[in-house]
Amino acid sequence: MIRFDDVSKRYPGGHEALKQVSFELEKGEMAFLTGRSGAGKSTLLKLIMLTEDLNQGQILVSGRNINRLPQRQVPYYRRRIGVVFQDHQLLFDRSVFDNVMLPLQIEGYDRHEAARRVRAALDKVGLLDKEKLNPITLSGGEQQRVGIARAVVNRPQILLADEPTGNLDPELAAEIMVLFEQFNQVGVCMLIASHDLSLITRLKHRMLTLEQGRLIKDEHQPSRRGTSS
Amino acid sequence: MTAKVNTRGNRAGNSRTSQPARQRLSAWLVLHRDCAVDALHRLWQQPASSAMTLTVIAIALLLPALLYVTGKNLSQFDSSLAQANQVTAYLRAEVNDSAVDDLRQRVEAHERVDTVRYISPEQAAADFAEWSGLGDVVESLAQNPLPASLVVQLADTRYETAVQVQDLLRDEPAVDFVQMDQLWLQRLDSFLSLTRRAVVALIVVLSLAVLFITGNTIRTSIASREAEIRVMNLIGATRAFIARPFLYTGLWYGLLGGALAWLLLGLLMLLLGGPGAELLTYYGNQYQVQGMGAAASITLLGGSAALGWLGARLSVSRHFTRF
Repeated sequence: MIRFDDVSKRYPGGHEALKQVSFELEKGEMAFLTGRSGAGKSTLLKLIMLTEDLNQGQILVSGRNINRLPQRQVPYYRRRIGVVFQDHQLLFDRSVFDNVMLPLQIEGYDRHEAARRVRAALDKVGLLDKEKLNPITLSGGEQQRVGIARAVVNRPQILLADEPTGNLDPELAAEIMVLFEQFNQVGVCMLIASHDLSLITRLKHRMLTLEQGRLIKDEHQPSRRGTSS
Repeated sequence: MTAKVNTRGNRAGNSRTSQPARQRLSAWLVLHRDCAVDALHRLWQQPASSAMTLTVIAIALLLPALLYVTGKNLSQFDSSLAQANQVTAYLRAEVNDSAVDDLRQRVEAHERVDTVRYISPEQAAADFAEWSGLGDVVESLAQNPLPASLVVQLADTRYETAVQVQDLLRDEPAVDFVQMDQLWLQRLDSFLSLTRRAVVALIVVLSLAVLFITGNTIRTSIASREAEIRVMNLIGATRAFIARPFLYTGLWYGLLGGALAWLLLGLLMLLLGGPGAELLTYYGNQYQVQGMGAAASITLLGGSAALGWLGARLSVSRHFTRF
């Protein structure tokens, strides 16, 4: 589903964010991407999102080399990938419902069909009763769940998350992870960047560890429990 | 690996692909309508700054419109005087009647001449006395100072015809001098073509002004909606989709600015129309104060809307950085 072949990324100014990273995620696989801040987790996700260009190597998504995608096709490519951001990137000038509606609006869905899907997504994250509220009135955990609803509303095959639990207390973070596991169970391929080792080692999924831009560990069944750095 | 991305997505069970074309068209229309309404709503939400922008646009558009209307009113004289297709030949005093008769017949035989009317010095004096009310003065003169004349009615209203007949008459020994109404008509004509050029020049210059005003307003609007643009971009909105609200905003600025200019012009016409109409009555009943007219009004509104849209478009292509 997602394949990195010898990928390197250097930012202007010389900082090498990723060095010769190679891995492959299968269809329907769930993996965590971990490492300290600055290890290159966000950069790796940005390369998949095509918000950054790589300097070397290639990235294949669904067998397609995304770095050869013409610029005008990039939006259509992005629609097939759901993204959950640490700061959730919600728009506070509209309701929860309208925030989740946005990806469907962009795709030009019929209004009734879109409304049905928005409600289904909100129901999934347990916020159906808050659809009319402005997201600014919601708690951090609820805002993150609105962000997740928006990421999954057009049923992407791939879901990326960049520190989705970064601002949440452990209990809420665990809830969010449960939600992610549910999406994974219906076949969504997931890559979740997180430095919260105590949480993610408990979940027993594949774990990719980055250190200073290099992929230093790729454990399919991490055995450690509760280790934190 | 397929080189071409299926733009409608290739997910199984995607209802987007299974939506009939009509439904998709209606969704598209709804999208545009919502976008237009939303853009108008946003203008309404910032009444002070919107009003200021609209006023500036309206004033920029008002100037050429005003000049156009002025020219239009002046050209009434042009078209009505074109019907005064007469050439008057004043005859020398010493010319005898038979020579006059001879000349008259020759002129009348000319293919471009309709009729020739002889006005004797006595007749001229009587006409003058009646027209000017200075009958006593004329009578008190020992000698009639007015010459006899031939009033030549031309067959058409073309300037060349008038010149041709004028040249013909001027060469006649019996003719003292020839007067042609077309002469000052020519002056009016060149004045009018000057106004027309001024209108064109003003339209060009002030269109640029409207373009920059909307462009700059849209720039600030893009800056204030940066978060939205960023999010839309991240979740796969096309450039066209992101730009659409701004283009509609530009369109509204142009259209409403044009409408305001039109209203201001109407107001000015109302203020100036009264004295103007009074002035025109001195020149006869056939003149009336004229407004823009339907075609020019539609051009004004359509043109200003197009300018607003174009200004927004330029701003969007300048300020949407790498997406």
